[in-house]
Amino acid sequence: MSDTQLRTPFPQRAHAALGDAHLQEALTIATTKFIGLRKESFAGYPAGEALRDRARAIKEATLQQLDRHLERLADNVERLGGHVHWAATGDEARDIILRLCRDKGVRMAVKSKSMATEEIELNDALAAAGVKPVETDLGEYIIQLAHEKPSHIIAPAIHKTKGQVADLFSKELGGRFEADPEVLTAVARKELRQKFLEADMGITGANFAVAETGTIVLVTNEGNGRMVTSLPRIHVAVMGMEKVIPTMTDLMVFLSILARSATGQKLSSYTTLVRGPRQPGEVEGPEELHLILMDNGRMRQIAGTLREALYCLRCGACLNVCPVYRQIGGHAYGYTYPGPIGILLTAMLEGTAAVKDLAHASSLCGACKDVCPVRIDIPRMLVELREQVDRERIAPWSERMVFGLARRVMASPALFRLGARLGRLAQRPFVRNGRLRRLPLFFGQWTRTRDLPPVAARTFSERWKDLERP
Amino acid sequence: MTTRTEFLGGLRREMAKTRGLFEARAAERPPDADEAFEAVKRQMAERWPQALERFRVEFERVAGVFHRVARREDVPGVIRAIAAEKGARRVLSWHPEALGLDLRQSLGGEGLSVTLAPEGEADGEMRRVHREEAAQAEIGVTGVDWALAETGTLILVSGRGRPRSTSLLPATHVAVFDRHQLLESLEQVGTMLEALHADPSRRMSGAMINFITGPSRTADIELTLTRGVHGPKEVHAIFVEGR
Repeated sequence: MSDTQLRTPFPQRAHAALGDAHLQEALTIATTKFIGLRKESFAGYPAGEALRDRARAIKEATLQQLDRHLERLADNVERLGGHVHWAATGDEARDIILRLCRDKGVRMAVKSKSMATEEIELNDALAAAGVKPVETDLGEYIIQLAHEKPSHIIAPAIHKTKGQVADLFSKELGGRFEADPEVLTAVARKELRQKFLEADMGITGANFAVAETGTIVLVTNEGNGRMVTSLPRIHVAVMGMEKVIPTMTDLMVFLSILARSATGQKLSSYTTLVRGPRQPGEVEGPEELHLILMDNGRMRQIAGTLREALYCLRCGACLNVCPVYRQIGGHAYGYTYPGPIGILLTAMLEGTAAVKDLAHASSLCGACKDVCPVRIDIPRMLVELREQVDRERIAPWSERMVFGLARRVMASPALFRLGARLGRLAQRPFVRNGRLRRLPLFFGQWTRTRDLPPVAARTFSERWKDLERP
Repeated sequence: MTTRTEFLGGLRREMAKTRGLFEARAAERPPDADEAFEAVKRQMAERWPQALERFRVEFERVAGVFHRVARREDVPGVIRAIAAEKGARRVLSWHPEALGLDLRQSLGGEGLSVTLAPEGEADGEMRRVHREEAAQAEIGVTGVDWALAETGTLILVSGRGRPRSTSLLPATHVAVFDRHQLLESLEQVGTMLEALHADPSRRMSGAMINFITGPSRTADIELTLTRGVHGPKEVHAIFVEGR
């Protein structure tokens, strides 16, 4: 996200998104479709619920021995002829890749979709170093040409119409292309096929890495993940350290629920297991394989409030069901990872202060927790973040004052009764048709987008007192 | 630059703060990989007809085209028909040793040009030539290591004479398999992969395993499903009943 966009506070970004009729329509169509596909898929898969429990248990078990699994993974990757790099920060991960590019004379790098490389803003760094980064996932390719950021974890360009894509391709690639997804996909195929064959380096993320076998696992639908790991002479995989899993048996558990959660497919079109660079006797495959294991804020959450967010598979299911995401889309969040899980990941990567507004961008309805394939308790952590924002005095003073006052009033019956009485007086000028529609001062921030029910003429506790009891 | 020791040291310090967490275990695995492997083999020797039917249904559901022939010698006829329908002329095939079929003999000289993947060690020049041929080929013919019924998935292990791009670069992928490759569940695939890695000499010589579930697809423009974005537009599976 560019600095100018981040300088705009979240409420304004959200407000702008709410006013964008096209975005609203695109979001509704996309998220509704994904919800339906996911639901249908799990409805026809009775084993799914138990597998979700197992997947969750595997993630937790892995975290409890993460050091051993990472060692094992690194040993196995090296045994197979790969190189392992350890990166404490995003900067360090970027530097490792840039140094590789320099040492190996890399001029162009083809990339398959990877949130980890988005997270470290690798493309800008590559371009600045004179290496041309080419995104090859169709959605990522579109937004790269448009100089934008992904708006959804698995469908990065859902905010764009086919007309906009046609205009973009016509302008950037030269030619006049019809606004037909079939035609536009064919254009991208031709354009990118050449890039796959010419590129020196393929850059991927990793959906999983199997410690016991040293296998990097990529899940894609388009086949670009296979291209970038088969054709260029160097393959670099950038991976958050929490993505390691112990065994192939564990991998099968995750594969059986990942695509179902993301797109409703039983499996994605391609699941690619990469085990080292080209082996003797193979006619294809990279000469070199580099695996970058990245911390970048994850490690301190091993014992932190966001530990459970380290289970995340990046399927995007929680985005689709989130009433806030469905209204504002991914860009309004302002960081790499949008949606409910994105708020937690942003806090993990950027610190709590970055989410002082975002922590409230949730109705805490719990839909995200219900659909999460590993049942991450997102609402619980959002509440904890809110508490942290308040405790660490990151929230604005007005907000802290209101909540502080509310706490005191709610904790004392006498104050509560007094508050009700005062409230009834104070609200008089503002009640219209039985609702509070506009309040003065900073209270107005609440009523700008929603009504507030007024204090009742007789409160519950007043009526309770009058009730006859046996 | 952070070293392995520093990285893991930092991690262990954080982990030390988390004592007393609830107990969690990784998935149960077969105690003996070889024994589990043999058990799956025995199961499938009986259950392959049901698995084949399920495979066909699921494979067609993901837009695969299913064929069934009596003998291995009937395979070239199916490929010829596919080529005729596509107007394709250039066929790239896994090495006969890996495919169990020499397509150059059976298909060459009928207006089709057939290229075979090199079998042994390839030098730089051979690799360059093969890459060009693969990029030009219109039909890629491969074998299959496992055909997974539950999801209609073809699983291919790369290696000697079995390049990874034969099933990727050509617009049409044709895979040939028989009853011995059929599996019912992802769980069984897990068993096979455990055994494969426990004894790499069993079959795996290459570095890549691909699970292929239908053609290459995208829905990135207005969620409209489009096939063949980078990989094949069409995937055919030919089941050989006999030897």
